[in-house]
Amino acid sequence: MQSIKLAWYNILRNRRRSFFTILITIVATLVLLAGGGFGLYMYQGLEEESARDTGNLILTRSGYFELEEDYPLQYGISAYKDIQQQYLKDEQIKAVLPHVDFQGLISNGEKTAIFMGKGVEHGEFLAKGPFINFTDGRALSSEVESGSDPEILLASGLAKNLKVGVGDIVTLLSTTTENVMNAMDFKVKGIFSTGVPELEKRMIYTDVTSAQSLLDSDLVSSISIHLFDIKQTADKLEQIQTENTDVEVTPWWVRAFYYRDVKNLFDRIFALLGIIISLIVFLAISNTMGMTVMERTREIGTLAAMGTYRYEITRNFTLEGLMIGLIGTLSGILLTLGLIGLLNFANIEMPPPPGSTQGFPIAINFSLELTLLSSVLLTIICAVAAWLAARSGSRKPIVEALSYV
Amino acid sequence: MLRFENIVKTFIQGETKTRALKGVSGSVHRGETVALCGPSGSGKSTLLNICGLLDMDYQGDLFFNNQKISKDLHLSTKIRRERIGFIFQRYNLIEAMTAFENVEYPLILSSQSKSERKQKVLSILEQVGLAGHEYKRPDQLSGGQQQRVAVARALVKRPALVIADEPTANLDTETATVVIDLMRELGATTQTTFLVATHDSRMTERCHRAIYLRDGLLVSKEIEHLEPQKFQKLTSGAKHAEHQIGMV
Ligand SMILES: Nc1ncnc2c1ncn2[C@@H]1O[C@H](COP(=O)(O)OP(=O)(O)OP(=O)(O)O)[C@@H](O)[C@H]1O
Ligand SMILES: [Mg+2]
Repeated sequence: MQSIKLAWYNILRNRRRSFFTILITIVATLVLLAGGGFGLYMYQGLEEESARDTGNLILTRSGYFELEEDYPLQYGISAYKDIQQQYLKDEQIKAVLPHVDFQGLISNGEKTAIFMGKGVEHGEFLAKGPFINFTDGRALSSEVESGSDPEILLASGLAKNLKVGVGDIVTLLSTTTENVMNAMDFKVKGIFSTGVPELEKRMIYTDVTSAQSLLDSDLVSSISIHLFDIKQTADKLEQIQTENTDVEVTPWWVRAFYYRDVKNLFDRIFALLGIIISLIVFLAISNTMGMTVMERTREIGTLAAMGTYRYEITRNFTLEGLMIGLIGTLSGILLTLGLIGLLNFANIEMPPPPGSTQGFPIAINFSLELTLLSSVLLTIICAVAAWLAARSGSRKPIVEALSYV
Repeated sequence: MLRFENIVKTFIQGETKTRALKGVSGSVHRGETVALCGPSGSGKSTLLNICGLLDMDYQGDLFFNNQKISKDLHLSTKIRRERIGFIFQRYNLIEAMTAFENVEYPLILSSQSKSERKQKVLSILEQVGLAGHEYKRPDQLSGGQQQRVAVARALVKRPALVIADEPTANLDTETATVVIDLMRELGATTQTTFLVATHDSRMTERCHRAIYLRDGLLVSKEIEHLEPQKFQKLTSGAKHAEHQIGMV
């Protein structure tokens, strides 16, 4: 108690200097928390986007993602409707969406190209929201009138290549599971843009049933399970895996390559930022504490003469550093909370990121973990810097310290 | 109480060596107040620093109650903490502490209880005439008041030895007299031994005897008595000082 009072009084003694030292700690805390919080907010957005893209959980036959199929749907899942029925009863599950992945040739009658196709249910467009960016036409209908051609969506590059537009007919050619060629006509319902060059010239969407009849199979490649709450992914993963031992359940993050790359990069950037800021704080506090220790050389000498052990002297200075750190980080945390509130209130938009057309509101996530980590780190840095300064200061022989002017 | 034998101290500064003490021996008895006199640069402070265990880098031996003092820093710190008080020319109060806290500090170091500390501090502050100034900080006190706080700080733990290096040099005559008398009065009742470096004749007059240093050597074996009257008054309660000083 006594020493805390003493440390406090010593901080007040050189107000201007203490103020600047504390200010540096405040700014450092603010930068770490606001920068880190913005990163977390971005991660959250990316996570949700990735999970929405692939589904929170992907059900496949085991090895599906590693093995190459010898023929279409070799590793397909049978009776997908049963699985759909089973899991749609679960209140935490928003959608269960089968996919058929297939490739083949697409032709307009005169010209042929390679396609990569995905058979999806109509529900895909409802559950996933605007995941496709239509340049023309619309999404697949929920039901096609009997007798008319099934519908298809083409990537804009492919449509341009084949010189077809909405309403035109194209023919898909693919090998069936029995290894014979099969052909089907499709009516172009919509043209979309993916933003990914490789997909732009190849990608098509059609409905699951048509894809299956083209491949002459009733299997699907995978089933995506979409949850209402991304936080339940891990729990559901375990539940479904134990219930369904003959399928492999893959969580979204395993397939979220873009998310992982971005997160990796930003993690590193933030780590670097953290190191730089820690270093700045360390240097700043070392500098001011060094000055303080120097100014108080005679006092250190006096304390030492009276029989104060060196560790007791360094302890007092360390306490001062600790207090500066605590005051700085606490104020920094309060400022960050203020900033979060302000951003919530002001609703400032960020410009759209590359590959996207929509901006997003700026926000900072408050993470208790990050806050604790940063403030403990910064406070420790302050204390250590003070301790080091005091340690070298109290090394001076007493007689020399006493005659210091 | 305190005996030093053949103390040699050499300062080395780059190429130049200064022999500040060239083999001084002497002793100070329990309860005695001894003035250390001599011209500037004669080695007074150097000898005081050695006797106060502030400087352990010397040749020769130092004895406390016939016990040889080791030159180990940790041990010497412990002795200083428990048995030696210091009064400095420039008061050297801790700026961040109030008068009360400054005086209390040595008692904290000797781990006395809070109530005990409070009682002792208030009583000694009253004795040095600073009742009512307990909660002022050094910058709110005059030089004389500060030095009185310093005297209280040096004496509050009842040390066996008090080392004072020119305690009155920064004070005007009147204040100096007050401080000197305080030292003597407080010391006499507790049998404290004083070793005081001084240029101040008023100080020397009030000491039991004086040791003279010149160029790092003791120049006189003379024992300087105070006039008997004054001597009686000032040493009331103190054990009769022995009139001996060691060989040069
Ligand atoms: N740290 C030091 N380095 C080198 N020489 C020193 C040092 N301290 C003292 N000296 C030298 O030792 C000698 C004795 O110095 P000391 O300070 O003991 O004198 P003093 O009697 O206390 O003088 P004063 O009355 O001026 O205080 C002087 O010649 C001084 O120059
Ligand atoms: Mg001197």
